[in-house]
Amino acid sequence: MKNVVIAGYARSPFTPAYKGALAGVRPDDLAAQMVKALVHESGIDPNDIEDLILGCAFPEGEQGLNLARLVVHLAQLPVSIAGVTVNRFCGSSMQAIHIAAGAIQMNAGDAFICAGVESMSRVPMGGFNTLPHPELYKNYPQAYIGMGETAENLALKYHISRAEQDAFALTSQQKTYAAQQQGLFSDEIIPIITGSGERIDRDGCLRPESTAEALAELNPAFLANGSVTAATSSPLTDGAAAVLVCSEAYADAHGLAKLARIKSIAVSACLPEIMGIGPVAATQKALRRAGLTLPDIDIVELNEAFAAQSLAVLKDLPIAPEKLNLDGGAIALGHPLGATGARITGKTASLLKRENKQFALATQCIGGGQGIATILEAI
Amino acid sequence: MMDIETVAVIGACVMGASIAAHIANAGIPVDLLDVVPKQGDNRNAIAEGAIAKLLKAEPQPFMHPKNARLLTAGNIEDDLGRLAQADWVIEAVIEDPMIKQALYQQLAAVCRPDTLISSNTSTLPLGVLTRNQPDSFKRHFMITHFFNPPRYMRLLELVASPELDAGLLNTISAFADVKLGKGCVLCNDTPGFIANRIGTFWIQTALLEAIALNLTVEQCDAAMTLFGTPKTGVFGLLDLVGLDLMPHVLESFKQTLPPNDRLSAIAAVPPLLQNMIATGLTGRKGQGGFYRLQPGANQKIKESINLQNGEFHPSEKFQIKGVSHQPDELRTFLTGSDALNRYAWRVLSDTLTYTAGLIPEIANDIVAVDTAMRLGYNWRYGPFELLDRLGVDWFTDQLAQEQRPIPEFLAARHNLYRVHNALLQFRDKSNRYHPLQRPKGVLLLSDVKRHGSPLLENPSASLWDIGDGIVCLEFHSKMNTLDTDSLSLIKQSISKVEQDFKGLVIYNEAEHFSAGANLTLLVPAIVQKDWETVKSIIRLGQETYQSLKYAPFPVVGAPSGLAIGGGCEILLHCDAIQAHAELYTGLVEVGVGLVPGWGGCKELLRRWLAFPKRPGGPMPPIAQTFETIGLAKVSKSAQEARELLFLSKNDGITMNRDRLLADAKTRTLALASDYKPPEPAVYALPGASAWAALGIAVRNLFLAGKASAYDVEISRQLAQVLSGGDTDITRPLTEQNLLDLELEAFLTLVQQPGTLARLEHMLKTGKPLRN
Repeated sequence: MKNVVIAGYARSPFTPAYKGALAGVRPDDLAAQMVKALVHESGIDPNDIEDLILGCAFPEGEQGLNLARLVVHLAQLPVSIAGVTVNRFCGSSMQAIHIAAGAIQMNAGDAFICAGVESMSRVPMGGFNTLPHPELYKNYPQAYIGMGETAENLALKYHISRAEQDAFALTSQQKTYAAQQQGLFSDEIIPIITGSGERIDRDGCLRPESTAEALAELNPAFLANGSVTAATSSPLTDGAAAVLVCSEAYADAHGLAKLARIKSIAVSACLPEIMGIGPVAATQKALRRAGLTLPDIDIVELNEAFAAQSLAVLKDLPIAPEKLNLDGGAIALGHPLGATGARITGKTASLLKRENKQFALATQCIGGGQGIATILEAI
Repeated sequence: MMDIETVAVIGACVMGASIAAHIANAGIPVDLLDVVPKQGDNRNAIAEGAIAKLLKAEPQPFMHPKNARLLTAGNIEDDLGRLAQADWVIEAVIEDPMIKQALYQQLAAVCRPDTLISSNTSTLPLGVLTRNQPDSFKRHFMITHFFNPPRYMRLLELVASPELDAGLLNTISAFADVKLGKGCVLCNDTPGFIANRIGTFWIQTALLEAIALNLTVEQCDAAMTLFGTPKTGVFGLLDLVGLDLMPHVLESFKQTLPPNDRLSAIAAVPPLLQNMIATGLTGRKGQGGFYRLQPGANQKIKESINLQNGEFHPSEKFQIKGVSHQPDELRTFLTGSDALNRYAWRVLSDTLTYTAGLIPEIANDIVAVDTAMRLGYNWRYGPFELLDRLGVDWFTDQLAQEQRPIPEFLAARHNLYRVHNALLQFRDKSNRYHPLQRPKGVLLLSDVKRHGSPLLENPSASLWDIGDGIVCLEFHSKMNTLDTDSLSLIKQSISKVEQDFKGLVIYNEAEHFSAGANLTLLVPAIVQKDWETVKSIIRLGQETYQSLKYAPFPVVGAPSGLAIGGGCEILLHCDAIQAHAELYTGLVEVGVGLVPGWGGCKELLRRWLAFPKRPGGPMPPIAQTFETIGLAKVSKSAQEARELLFLSKNDGITMNRDRLLADAKTRTLALASDYKPPEPAVYALPGASAWAALGIAVRNLFLAGKASAYDVEISRQLAQVLSGGDTDITRPLTEQNLLDLELEAFLTLVQQPGTLARLEHMLKTGKPLRN
């Protein structure tokens, strides 16, 4: 087995869809600026890059065609770099990392850019042309279930109260804001230049003014008598993220800074109507493959699609709060679907180094009823 | 004549900012300046705050929120230099002559000599404003008095000095008329000009007499409405404008009018009004006024004040039975002996005699006064028109019986207007009649009608020859609802035009173009489960509208006000629309449990499919159409109607209601040369998969409590139509296929109790039921 390492991580600022500073930026431009900067900062010879593997949850419109290949050109990378666009919804760019890891094992390349992008301003969630299979919809409608409803299902199934969700969301806001104030995102953010020349270098989704009282007053967003609100859901977000994945031997030979080694990977599937529980099975698989147990894990990035979903996962995967989402999570930071997997994996790798810990887990749920997990170890 | 290309408004108060907003509605950039605030770092904070408030104000000052981008905030210390570029500078600062005159000195220093500077004063005479100003200033200064809210009130009073450059006056009049849609009335330089002088007298008389005769506000407002004043009545109007305004207005008149003027004599503020203002009852902006809304168990409860003791009681719906707007019934009502009869007579006779005595003091002729009251106070008839309706001889007889003085203007008892050689004429003080000249570009159907009989006519519609080979189809049923008579006349009109004319305009001069299909015809058939009748009504409408669309001559819709349901559908079948800027149009059928059945789904979907800026793929046009119809979206202006695709890019918008017919006629004539009917549309629709996609969206809305159970059912039927039914994207559908789907959905819905409940509720209450 070859060792596979993460040798670089970067992301764009994450800003709110429609009203945020990146709403006017095409997703291909967003991804290209970010990938170009990552390649430059990592110090890799771009001619050595085998493939740009790009995750995107709704690859149509400006995110359409083979976005990855187009980003190669937009980023002015060598024409010799191949490009493939990957869709596993929210797990797309973590899947990109998994594909790269597998390819390296198969001796199918040494260095890969594994990226993800989503402009939820410019390509709506669901895409422009949702055309469900009528028979499947009739016979198994949950295949097309809305995400908010799945969070409500988990809140019911796991007896998660509105107050618990509000508290979780508030903590997410507080942790994210504290990290921003301490400059803990500045190393990972690549400033994006908009069409009008404006330089965007700061996350825009955070709501540091949130209070428990204000959150308690919000109406349910998805079910008239439900408990999930806009504040306990991750916001619609524009953003891109990328990691550099390469064989450890290549990294060593070229003096690249190694953040973490990939220990194990897994995907899993569950009922679509409780898709948010996906990380549980995926994590359990990945732990088994790594020969580890949950207590061995020092740092966890669990994507906060919804507070109810995260809390349900935590009931089955009891992760100590001090290990969880150290710099906050998607409820405050935002969740640009295709970009999140690369963000949390890259973040986990950089946290492992920053915190000087041994093992780390990045995991997320995926619409349609799936989970994905990556376990990293310190080098 | 100079074009007005940039305007500045100084004073970002409600009135100044709203004037700026309306000028922006005409597509003209406006600098909005105010003073620098005493506190804070932002020197433009006042003007910027005013623009932010405009975007939230109701009724909306902007015809489209994007018009706000034409406003540039500034302040009079840093930005006065920008006025060198302005073609028109409107001063709307506090009513203080010293402050205004000081500002004018600054303006004179920066403005070009050909820039018109005008004041929006409502009380200060021109002579006061220009006192000690050089002639060079007077040459480009006048009063332009807008009425609140400027977007909606059509009156613009103009007061010009003899020194004013005639070219500037013409430029501003033409701009205000064509671009801002205003009816310009030249007033003499007297206190309160025309409308507020008469309006204040009327309001104050109505208030004092109501107290004196111990009547309720509901009774008084109902009585006034009979004579064509707005539904608010006097007390509702006072609540709307703010009670606290009255003492200032009355005091101003007391200061400026001679003591023997009848308005001066009644200008004392009654104690009731003083007490109400002192306790915060300043009207809708305060804690209520003569009416107020109090929280109730299920809905707010409307209460009215007792004019004698100031206490509130639940409002009564007071109706005056057996009296219509017909003159003989009004005369009978005015001569009755009850307190309310006496009230109406006193208020009207006082107001009309006062007005009759003001010619030529306030205006040169009666037309100016009538226009001012119609456009500035929304009276259906101006005071002299009302006198003619009641009969000048009858009116003067009544005065004589009461041994009251008869105004000199009425002494000869001649009619105030007459029709001579099919032309409307008005009378002067010497009892000579003069033709009423319409400005160039104004064509009124009411004038056309004086020339003879309609070409075709039935109880719901008529066809008129408006000259140059163009005819006008006029609806005239109640609220211009469409029934079998309306449809029949459309069919007859098509044959008529084919034989003898070049084109057809669909237009009327009622407040509303059309409230859609007449539901009272449909409901009995539904109650009797007479589905064949329902089907035949739908088929008749579909066939008629299709005939209109494919007629061998151009058809131009010229709507104003409401054009909803079937009234919107007929517009969607026209070759072009020339819309009045105040157009409120939409396909609102879901409100009564139905889907558009006369081709509305077919036509709006066609527009979205052809819309060049839409995202690609089959779903966006379907989803947009579904949202527009499913949410019963109604445009709040013609500009918004364009965004909803009820109007196309090539359709025109006319700001001045009086110019609508002429503009529509011009458009029809332009289309008539080399006219070819449109090519039938072909639809490629995804069928069941689109139906499923819309179903998912509606289900999520239902779960979130944003759609009712029956909304879901109607949406399923609407989705069935818009997805193309049992089809596949590779199979082309015709317009007839879409019409068949509309019919099928319509027939499915009418057979459900939920639809009948919605229909009956609408007919009973005028409001939609959410079941």
